[in-house]
Amino acid sequence: MSFTYLLLEARRAMRNGRFMIFSIAFPVLLFLLYTGIWANGDKAVTGILMVNMTSFGALSAALFAGSRVALERSVGWQRQLRLTPLSGGGYLTAKGLTGMLLALPAVVLVPLVGVAVEGVSLDAAGWLRVTIGIWLAVIPFALIGLLIGQVGTPDSMQPIMSLTMMTMSMLGGVFIPIDSMPDWLLKIAHVLPSYWLGQVGRGAVTSDLSVNLGQAVLVLGVWTAVVGLGVVRRFRRDSARV
Amino acid sequence: MLPGGIVVIVNETGISAGAAVMLAGLRKSYGDVHAVAGVDLTIAPGEVVALLGPNGAGKSTTVDMLLGLTKPDAGTVTVFGASPHEAVARGTIGAMLQGGALLDDATVGETVAMVASLHRSPLPVAEALRRSGVGELANRRCNKLSGGQKQRVRFAVALVSDPDLLVLDEPTAAMDVQGRREFWKAMRGFTNTGRTVVFATHYLEEAENYADRVVLMRAGQIVADGSVAEVTSLVAGRVIRAAVPGATQSALTMMVGVTEVEVRANQAVISTNDSDKTLRELLATYPQAHDIEVTAVGLEGAFLSLTSDENAGADRS
Repeated sequence: MSFTYLLLEARRAMRNGRFMIFSIAFPVLLFLLYTGIWANGDKAVTGILMVNMTSFGALSAALFAGSRVALERSVGWQRQLRLTPLSGGGYLTAKGLTGMLLALPAVVLVPLVGVAVEGVSLDAAGWLRVTIGIWLAVIPFALIGLLIGQVGTPDSMQPIMSLTMMTMSMLGGVFIPIDSMPDWLLKIAHVLPSYWLGQVGRGAVTSDLSVNLGQAVLVLGVWTAVVGLGVVRRFRRDSARV
Repeated sequence: MLPGGIVVIVNETGISAGAAVMLAGLRKSYGDVHAVAGVDLTIAPGEVVALLGPNGAGKSTTVDMLLGLTKPDAGTVTVFGASPHEAVARGTIGAMLQGGALLDDATVGETVAMVASLHRSPLPVAEALRRSGVGELANRRCNKLSGGQKQRVRFAVALVSDPDLLVLDEPTAAMDVQGRREFWKAMRGFTNTGRTVVFATHYLEEAENYADRVVLMRAGQIVADGSVAEVTSLVAGRVIRAAVPGATQSALTMMVGVTEVEVRANQAVISTNDSDKTLRELLATYPQAHDIEVTAVGLEGAFLSLTSDENAGADRS
């Protein structure tokens, strides 16, 4: 694996309209739109919307990158790569890193719009949390994407991805802010990694309904370990079958 | 057992040390089907070997085991003294697999560059593209290529690691005549540098034109192995074509050495395993026979005769 390889992977993804829309254009535009509708100059609400849209862009990019593995499997590209020095672990790492690379635009652009257009002001630690923090917190989503990509086919990818995105963003508190969630929905939200992803940034903009960073990191760490294990096991079974 | 008492000469030149490829006692079954049922094959560096056989003969399975993509049930694979896995990691093997294997959203140049970036000492991407005859397509998206161009891009992917052994599984399948010619032109450039090539093909003329050695497979086993001339000579026999007024099929079939007769209008096509005797009898019986032509059975005839019998050797349990 090399840096050139990662860059070429990222360049391929940039050509994809779906990626550009969901992971870059939507987060920025929706952030501007929602702030106009709901914030009414309330800096806390603006901050929450910024965190949520950053999370949305980053998680959809990370999911998207992994899911493309389904396509590579179906055309035999994975087999072709097995004839290079790239190991199985190297391939999975490369795919995971590609997901992380693709999550960067949202993590940079939405907070940038927050500062430049909406006048959000945070201390240095706060900005670290809503940028680098959220970025690192999408690691489990890159892995979930990889798992989907290994289980699904190019045909089933669309519905599986839509369902995952809906669940993560609606029930996880990205599109329906947890502030407005009824109690029962909030309980469901706690199960999803997207809730904890949101919490990584939320603590930086409001203390209302936010949990401490350590707890969020712990839960996301567990998600990473469990899904990561699933990805490796699935990959082993897949390559042994050929 | 083989039909018609055909003697199979299997190449036994034991160049075990320093061999490019050595397959020993290779077996692979999928359920009840013995895809590969005992293959022994040694290929010397620099040889260009064609792997021939009807569909289901075990060519692809053999190729997959040679590349380390499939694990044999029994037997060993050695590529330049190493396991396929080690050879792949060193970039010693380049391969064109059957099927698509190109990414629609990448350009030709990106595709080859991606693979190159994974190897330790690859050829420059432009060089690999040029050698494969796709230098001018570097910026073209892979989904905008013709079938022949796709195959040549895949050839560039196989070539970019600058391998010592190139393995091609049906490289020209679904190509038109022009595409095939251009592909083999690119291929010649590679074989002229003394590299080893193993290719599976359906096109016998490709084996005849480009291979030093032909390995014929049927039902998971090697049934013939040698130069084109050697393999062809395994099937003794000639074909006599002549205009024979008044001849009937049954009368011609009765003649010495005749194995098969086809009569249409006055034209007779007589397969025989002793053309001299058959011809003498033919001329004695039908002095008015004219336009006589005697030809040897070519590689196609050998192929058909060595691989056609479905039951013989079909190793199913």
